[in-house]
Amino acid sequence: MNAMLIDSTRCVGCRACQIACKSWNELPSEKTQFFAGKGYQNPKDLSATTWTLITYNETKRRGRFDWVFGKRQCMHCLLPACATACPVTALKKTPEGPVVYDSSICLGCRYCQLACPFDVPRFEWDKVFTKITKCTMCADRVAEGMEPACCKACPTDAIVFGERSKLLAEAHARIDANPLNYVHHVFGEKEMGGTCVLHLSDVPHQELGHAGGLSEEPASAYSRPAMASIPFVLTGLGIGLGAVSWVVNRRQQLAAQQKEIERLHEIAEQAEGKEPGGTNS
Amino acid sequence: MTSHWIDMIHADVAMVMGSNVVENHPVAAKWLARAKERGSLILNVDPRYTRTSSFADHYCQFRSGTDVAFVNGMINYALEHDYIQREYVVNYTNASFIINPDIGFHDGLFSGYDEAKRKYDAATWQYEMGADGMPLRDLTLQHPRCVYQLMKRHFSRYDVDTVCSITGAPREDYLKICRNYTSTWAPDRVGTWLYAMGTTQHTNGTQNIRTYAILQLLLGNVGLAGGGVNALRGESNVQGSTDFGLLFHILPGYNPSPLAAEQGLAAYNAANTPTSKDPKSANWWGNRPKYVVSMLKAWYGDHATAANDFGYDFLPKRDGDYSHISLFEAMYEGRIQGLILLGQNPAVGGPNSLKERAALEKLEWMVAVDLWQTETSTFWRRPGTDPASVQTEVFLLPACSSVEKEGSVINSGRWAQWRYKALEPVGESASDLWILDSLFKKLRAEYAQGGALPEAITKLNWDYGTPEQPDRHQEPDVHRVAREINGYFTRDTTIDDKGTPKSFKKGDQVPGFPMLQADGSTASGNWLYCNSYTGPEPKDNKLARRDGKDAANEIGLYPNWAWSWPMNRRILYNRASVDPAGRPWNPKKWVIRWNETEKKWEGDVPDGPWPPGEKHPFIMRADGHAALWAATLKDGPLPEFYEPLESPQHNLMSSVQVNPAIKLWHKSNPELNPVGEEATYPIIGTTYRVSEHWQAGAMTRNLPWLAELVPDAFVEMSQALANQRGIVNGDRVQVVTARGAMDVYALVTNRFQPFRVDGRLVHEVGVVWHFGWEGIVKGDSANVLTSHVGDANTMIPEYKAFLCDVRKITGGVA
Repeated sequence: MNAMLIDSTRCVGCRACQIACKSWNELPSEKTQFFAGKGYQNPKDLSATTWTLITYNETKRRGRFDWVFGKRQCMHCLLPACATACPVTALKKTPEGPVVYDSSICLGCRYCQLACPFDVPRFEWDKVFTKITKCTMCADRVAEGMEPACCKACPTDAIVFGERSKLLAEAHARIDANPLNYVHHVFGEKEMGGTCVLHLSDVPHQELGHAGGLSEEPASAYSRPAMASIPFVLTGLGIGLGAVSWVVNRRQQLAAQQKEIERLHEIAEQAEGKEPGGTNS
Repeated sequence: MTSHWIDMIHADVAMVMGSNVVENHPVAAKWLARAKERGSLILNVDPRYTRTSSFADHYCQFRSGTDVAFVNGMINYALEHDYIQREYVVNYTNASFIINPDIGFHDGLFSGYDEAKRKYDAATWQYEMGADGMPLRDLTLQHPRCVYQLMKRHFSRYDVDTVCSITGAPREDYLKICRNYTSTWAPDRVGTWLYAMGTTQHTNGTQNIRTYAILQLLLGNVGLAGGGVNALRGESNVQGSTDFGLLFHILPGYNPSPLAAEQGLAAYNAANTPTSKDPKSANWWGNRPKYVVSMLKAWYGDHATAANDFGYDFLPKRDGDYSHISLFEAMYEGRIQGLILLGQNPAVGGPNSLKERAALEKLEWMVAVDLWQTETSTFWRRPGTDPASVQTEVFLLPACSSVEKEGSVINSGRWAQWRYKALEPVGESASDLWILDSLFKKLRAEYAQGGALPEAITKLNWDYGTPEQPDRHQEPDVHRVAREINGYFTRDTTIDDKGTPKSFKKGDQVPGFPMLQADGSTASGNWLYCNSYTGPEPKDNKLARRDGKDAANEIGLYPNWAWSWPMNRRILYNRASVDPAGRPWNPKKWVIRWNETEKKWEGDVPDGPWPPGEKHPFIMRADGHAALWAATLKDGPLPEFYEPLESPQHNLMSSVQVNPAIKLWHKSNPELNPVGEEATYPIIGTTYRVSEHWQAGAMTRNLPWLAELVPDAFVEMSQALANQRGIVNGDRVQVVTARGAMDVYALVTNRFQPFRVDGRLVHEVGVVWHFGWEGIVKGDSANVLTSHVGDANTMIPEYKAFLCDVRKITGGVA
């Protein structure tokens, strides 16, 4: 299964990745003013037109001032909560790694957004029929044997693309080789059951803008009931249709989702079962 | 660069000073990252904590404009602790050379200073010569007037406490930099020194670089893999622009442009061709007449004959200084009628830009050749100006971009690489070559009717395959240009090549510059590029080579990838990478080595073919030795610290406040070049760029994605200063100097910290200069703040240090 290893100790904050993402995915620019976050960050957050975002963080490292950069994007969970929460299976975990979506069947219900522990999916609020958008790990490029656009653009190899088990081994090898230069935690190795985006850092991952306090259990294990218990707080056409769809197809979907969960576990097991190989850098 | 980009990976220690390499050359960070992976230590010295500092292992802050003091202290540290590569220093530098008995230095001034003229007479800075016409030397380095002893005395004044008091560098951080960098004195340890405009854009710019060169030579770091003094060029082809003489003082190939006093080729050659009586000196510039005559043959063809000095009289002769500041001063005074700008945007990029924008109004006509409507091309409608009041006739010629034409680009590492056309030019845009070719044809037709010295134009040898009447669809043949740059034989010629006669036919390409002649039998547009295009076909274009195989030494030279000057040499001064017997100082990363069996050099193309020890390694110097002591500079043979023109601090080293050899424009017209005092402008200001925008911004402020990332001009300041001024992050503030003011956003950050200078706190702020009134995102340029004052040797403006004040904008709408 494919994954990305993002080593913030190699990141120079140049944002070639942010531009490459917009370029490849033909995403429009956003109207910004000054800087919307800390340091040079722009825009303010992930959005329907910004699928990856570099954060600029002034912090202390080993007692000295430092400035470190984080990269936010979809984590491409092994067992994605978004996919299990989606009432119409618009979101899907592929065996290749990316969590992809079919916007033609998306209802705009935003369950995925509520379910995602990493706060990733976004909606195109400027459109009449809002659809989910997010990083696809450039599934279209990957299908053609290419690496994701952000990865390709990175001048310092801070983003590496490859087989998850190999990247995991590489991540641990980097920590072992430079124990003083890393926090001893591969973010994404176990979070929410593991993800296909792995982060290395020399400061606590939360300081780079990543979610903290996450369970090691996959969200998918409980997101379905959790989602089902959310009342229809949302308004609008999307939710209306979603509700209709929910009722009409409930039985069908439950079966489909059960199947999807089983399939995801299968993929995850395959990924975990592989022996860590050599480095892939 | 004396080396090239990939070579950084071999550095044991990399020093980044006067450069924000990670932000402004992000692709170079690839090589620094690889160096780090191999265990190299990255050091960074900068007034503020940048993305480069974040990348580095050790960071040390220091006040803008105090570079000479900072590095002089490092030199002193190396000399004091004897952390020098002694064999290298004795054999390859002029440390052992004895200087004139009348040499002196007192209170910040070297001997020979004329205060009225603000000029030095360098007579007393010269070597003491022996009866044999050779400089006197003391290889024990004991003679009190040998360069080494003069240096020890000079630099001893730069002790750690004094340096830290001047620069504001924290003592422990400073010592850490000194200790780590000077560790590369060991023959098999190497340090690279990376710099850019943070170094050059000062009134002491040349001496800043001198400090780097001196330290690198003392540590034996020049010529080795992972070493060198490496200028990271600020523009993708600025190396090409200097190689090809796009500066007022040089012709292509770094030959001086003729002075008015140099009437006739003989006078020019006599004034500019060095001589040496030392049989071990290659004295390569002794070949200058061959290169100049070959260039004249390329330019004037059959009209260049021995009888007319090969057309030397057609060349313009200069009388003084035609640098950027001087041109704009003359323009402001109404002494320039017309201006053609190719890819230049002085309304944003020029110093004291309010004045420069006003100067443009004095022109009768202006032609801007650019990809976009730049602020310079619309100076007549800048904010606050009534277009009707501007009489200048302005033309904008749309140029196509680099991917819309075929041609070459030369990177900082001197690699000349061929590029292909990927797209048809957009709209009516055309290549620079087409524009210049068409302009020339029109000019020639005009000059055929007469004019001042029409021969300079009418007799030019100009045939790039286009018709007399410019045709929009007929592009000049860029290969003809490239072949002319390399050079060709103008008649059947036989040349003695180290004892073997070699015959060439008229029209054959010249294989390399050792074959160029001063008798008119060869033509070469730029001798440095002779060897780049050695046959008649495009396949003979070495710039287009794309073979990724490394050389025998496997240090990343990739000799068959593109081509580098001179003669495809990848690391300059590589004869200094071996000891006098030809053995590499660092055998693990050898650059060249002498094969005793085959009697030849292996590895990189050596700096000349001679066996080891036969010639001194620094072949471009008449004495063959690298210059720790440089008698050719205008502001002293050794670097001495002076404050920037505007500074809150009196000079702690001497009573001479500013570089004694700079031209002070404000003395003659103070109202036009006002100089600010600390009482009104207590804060140090500097200017810089960000990764997300390029230079004057035309190429990036017109791109929505980049505009999104950095949409507004801003000033960075410390929390301490912000507190003092009641400013919070995101406030609109005004930055003001004696010359201008600009409204910007305040970015309050811990990355800027006040300096402790001479016992008191001094603040510094930094402003980006990318912005103007054109483009998707707009603002003003930081150059409304900067001053018309330049370096003593190069006239590069002092963009990097000035005095300003920062005031919160209250009551108004931002």
